[in-house]
Amino acid sequence: MITLWHYLAVAAAMFGIGLVGFLTRRNMITMFLCAEMMFQGVAINFVAFARYHGNLQGQVFVLFIIAVAACEAGVALALFLMLYRRGKSLDASDWQSLREMGVPPTVDTVPLPVEAVTEDDRLAPAGVRPKHIPSEEEAARV
Amino acid sequence: MNLFALSPMQESAGQIALAAVLAIVGFAFLLPQPKGRKVAVGIAALIAASAVFVAWIYTTYGQPMPDIIGTVLFCLFSAGALLFGTALVVQSNPGRGAIAFAFVILSTCGLFLLLAAPFLMAATIIIYAGAIIVTFLFVLMLSHAGGPSDENNRSREPLLGALAGFAFTGLVLFSLYLSQGGAQAASAAESPKIAQRLPAQVLTLEERNTLLAAVAKLDAVEEQLAGDTTPIAERGRVDDYFKGVQDQIATVAGSNTVISQYGSIATRLEKVGEKVTPLRGDQQSLRVLRQTAEVRKQNEKAYDAVVNHLFDSKPDRATVKAELRTLRDQTLLLAGVGDLPARNVGNLGYLLYTDHLLAVELAGTLLLVATIGAIAITQRKGAVA
Repeated sequence: MITLWHYLAVAAAMFGIGLVGFLTRRNMITMFLCAEMMFQGVAINFVAFARYHGNLQGQVFVLFIIAVAACEAGVALALFLMLYRRGKSLDASDWQSLREMGVPPTVDTVPLPVEAVTEDDRLAPAGVRPKHIPSEEEAARV
Repeated sequence: MNLFALSPMQESAGQIALAAVLAIVGFAFLLPQPKGRKVAVGIAALIAASAVFVAWIYTTYGQPMPDIIGTVLFCLFSAGALLFGTALVVQSNPGRGAIAFAFVILSTCGLFLLLAAPFLMAATIIIYAGAIIVTFLFVLMLSHAGGPSDENNRSREPLLGALAGFAFTGLVLFSLYLSQGGAQAASAAESPKIAQRLPAQVLTLEERNTLLAAVAKLDAVEEQLAGDTTPIAERGRVDDYFKGVQDQIATVAGSNTVISQYGSIATRLEKVGEKVTPLRGDQQSLRVLRQTAEVRKQNEKAYDAVVNHLFDSKPDRATVKAELRTLRDQTLLLAGVGDLPARNVGNLGYLLYTDHLLAVELAGTLLLVATIGAIAITQRKGAVA
């Protein structure tokens, strides 16, 4: 039989995973989604306790959580937009100049992997026949 | 003396710590890093962590599973929530992360449904469907197309972050164990105590079974009555049956016979008014109390009808049947009221607009302020209105 404690354990694990994501990820949108996941973990707690006590107070509380989450989503996405306009990036570490006094800055020492960029084929300007050297296979087929 | 013998508490703490350490290792390997990540090692560690976690839940709270469908659904939804939550955290592409988050929401809604919260399920799906689509819009609008980037391919202190998160989770789980559930589950192995089921019972399982047995007997009595062709012997059997039913209902609803850990419904719920800590003090349990009293009254009425039926020279079988039918229906209703009913949307609305009216108003104001704030934040300086 599934008991209250099963739900509480799952909710705690969900909250923990969301917390790890919020602490470690640098993309502000991902951080926002992780915070929403933490909200969901808390909501499961409330609903499980509502069922456990056989009343609806917990469900009412979750409704207010959802309202607060919606407000948070609106303000957070507006902030991301504004920060993106200023920094042209979603990286939260771009704003580390706002950190506490006396805390050393985070410096990225390891360079990002460089992906080999393949040049895309481009359309030739109209009117001029593009210079084309047929490959062996092409020549054989034609 | 065995120095390596562990108490159940130490064993439980060890299991939680092992699961947390494995999860930390898994996340540290799986979180995006510019050096590249070790996916196979990370996934193996996470699978081991979830195995230890499930084993801990099973040994601590695991009960025999009479409700197979509910158990399977719970496992499915909670596994989905945790799996897609992990995918959201370790996924470097924010678009895919948003898709994983959508599945987390769907799994959570499944859990809500299992917990008798259909309105919350619908509200969550509707609100988050909108939120996720807006997030997608932002991801498409703001993320750089192609190529690794600082925000997606770097993590801030993966090891320390995972340590902080899972140390916290481990402590929460351990305090859960230390709270009533763990202690009770540990002693449940020794004595057949009533486990903490969902919800805290108004009616215990035993009581409900007794009531259902009484209903079955009443059905049998009714069949007897249908075949009754006035011989006294037959009527005597009806009486025998009915006495059994009366005893059963009296055990549950009427007398103060202690039939479970908490006593009968009446003794258990009537403590509400006293200083004794009540097991349940809410409207639902009071309603059950009233309903129990009604069943008791109807029981007496039906018994009188049967006695009259036996000693009457011209028995009025229709009245007896009607009384028995009413008693049967009421008993069945009483047997079914223990759980929080799933059709509680109307009650939720009633509660919101009576007890929590001020909070509803405040939530509405908060939404308005947030909307205005979002517009104010994004407005460009000097933009022409």
